[in-house]
Amino acid sequence: MAYIDKVLRINLTNGRTTSEPLNKEWAKDYLGGKGLSIKYLYEELKPGIDPLSADNKLILMTGPLTGTIVPNSGKLAIAAKSPATGTILDCSIGGHFAPELKFAGYDAVIIEGKATEPIYLFIEDSNVELRNAADLWGKGAHETEHLLYERLGDVITLAIGQAGENLLPMACISSELYRQAGRGGIGAVMGSKNLKAISVRGNGGVKIPDIRKFSATLNKIKREDTMTDDNMWAYSDGTPMIVDLSQSTGILPTRNFQEGTFDEYKNINSEAVKSVLKAKKACFACPLACSNYVKMGKTEIEGPEYETLALCGSNCGIGDMEALIEFNRLCDDHCLDTISAGNTVAFAMELTEKGIHDFGIRFGDVENYLQMPTLIATRQGVGADLALGVKKMAEKFGGRDFAMEVKGLEIPGYEPRGSWAMGLAYGTADRGACHLRAWPASVEAFGKIDPFTSEGKAELVIGMQDINSVKFSAIWCDFWAISTEQMAEILTLLLERDITAAELSTIGERINNLARLFNEREGFDRKDDYLPTRVHNEKLTTGFTAGKSLPRENYEKMLSEYYQLRGWDENGKITAEKKKALNL
Amino acid sequence: MKALAFHAEKCIGCKLCHLACSAQNEGEFNPRLARLKITSIHKRDGLLVRGQTCDLCLTCVEVCPEDAIVEKNGRLNFLPELCTDCGICVDTCPPQVIVDKPEGVGVCVQCRSCANWCPTAALTFEEVNK
Repeated sequence: MAYIDKVLRINLTNGRTTSEPLNKEWAKDYLGGKGLSIKYLYEELKPGIDPLSADNKLILMTGPLTGTIVPNSGKLAIAAKSPATGTILDCSIGGHFAPELKFAGYDAVIIEGKATEPIYLFIEDSNVELRNAADLWGKGAHETEHLLYERLGDVITLAIGQAGENLLPMACISSELYRQAGRGGIGAVMGSKNLKAISVRGNGGVKIPDIRKFSATLNKIKREDTMTDDNMWAYSDGTPMIVDLSQSTGILPTRNFQEGTFDEYKNINSEAVKSVLKAKKACFACPLACSNYVKMGKTEIEGPEYETLALCGSNCGIGDMEALIEFNRLCDDHCLDTISAGNTVAFAMELTEKGIHDFGIRFGDVENYLQMPTLIATRQGVGADLALGVKKMAEKFGGRDFAMEVKGLEIPGYEPRGSWAMGLAYGTADRGACHLRAWPASVEAFGKIDPFTSEGKAELVIGMQDINSVKFSAIWCDFWAISTEQMAEILTLLLERDITAAELSTIGERINNLARLFNEREGFDRKDDYLPTRVHNEKLTTGFTAGKSLPRENYEKMLSEYYQLRGWDENGKITAEKKKALNL
Repeated sequence: MKALAFHAEKCIGCKLCHLACSAQNEGEFNPRLARLKITSIHKRDGLLVRGQTCDLCLTCVEVCPEDAIVEKNGRLNFLPELCTDCGICVDTCPPQVIVDKPEGVGVCVQCRSCANWCPTAALTFEEVNK
């Protein structure tokens, strides 16, 4: 069946592993992935816990699509309370781990407590072992994965690097070297539990009724609806194609968001990536293969993705592709989230150039730039300060007005002054500044909707947040621009019950409200849905966005409208009526 | 004779071929039951892409002591009633794509489900030099 109906629960404090049925009531209301992992965390975590304590839980959650032939269904949700923000945190990681976990016989793994010494988990079907990881501790994620593959054979691994071991708020989890559950310090949650890696091998399968007919239907959908012009940009270019779009619309973050265009953008755009492309790579069950396997000089990686090109490239004043690729590799190996790392380095560069504090690094300084990932991940030299992330650096050194973060999470690669709905998306995303909860830049800066008005933006962002929550719960990758109707059609076939587009929209709304409720319980409200002061008070001066800002009153207007449409009060708290309507 | 062929330079490592094969021939989505093996992983010395498919070399037909695998009209045919589970075919298959099951074996029947699903034409059905 689409659900295995089994959850593996591992308590690292006492080493006990148990399995239990999946909560089917919750699965009906939240599907899986993002939604279901948030539900488990909401029910099981006490309010106010320290995210880096044994009280936090790390959940690996698949969805009903996982392991099937449905296109773009290879992702895994990983969730916990965020060490970076204190909010709910769910990340999405591609590759092949999610289906492997399901083939091993589990919908989800819930990891509790804290091991007394470094360990890794080896899961093969019903065999679950906690093994000593003393020899892996201190190693990068790449070496860790290689060693575990050599030791265990054909396995898929989630691993942390030095950043996770050292509990950085920007530490990510890595798989297959170049896939990341990137944001909010999810890698530090693993590190805090002394958990270096999780390797899985699954020898079972997923059985569904009438599998041949289902496969034939899905093959038609794959050909006619997935592999279309709307989605094949992923194969032809991948995310680097966004560099030119952002440059031409003036939203390419440059020198810590001081500008929205970068003179050297041609050195870091899709053409530049294609010039060193060796092969295309896909996640499990994905025909779109967005990933670019590149080689330049001695360095090979899958990447760099747009976010890395923007935040670690133009935003650091770096127009040197070879340096960018090496920086990307260092971040991947040490397990630093490139969005947060790029922002943090750029912030240190601006603080240095403005004479506020000398970190010994300036925009475009390739030599020192390449030292940063290792120094940050190991908290050495200036890295000890940069490891704090932008928000805490600003609290310590100043520069609060140009600290580019929301709720403590650094901002992705779309300048909100040239895409106002993007600003609202950052302000209201459940885990802090995030471009995946909603990506209105696609229809605003890159589309036909006026980017410089508040009108209609709240409705736009809400619609996107709700549909993306469904996608990340089923789990579909967001690179298939699938309609809610088609999601309903496929889920109806798979789950053998009628699922309507309207029901999915309600599920999406419910997920966003539950995430908000989790954050509300932690003390978050309107005061936390801010944008950096720079966005309101400084006008951009170049390109399409020259003369543009996002005035505070316009932002506040969008935010109030957003709360109103969500059925929340003026302070951003969920009303009793809304809770009742959504069965929260 | 026509048979499956693999073109490594086009493979993206999505495993849709494994799923299509196991769904068609085993009734479940289980990559380890697929009658082909496509590998696309990052090793220490870089990306390794390798394809193992049945090219109708007919070694299995030759080695089976019970004639439980026969070739007919360019397709392998497995006759379970004759199989004694000796495992010789599994061990000697040059591309190592015969699935060893609790009872009997799974041989590629050139159904082309894998090639029909392959999004990049890395798997094709074409003339092989046999």
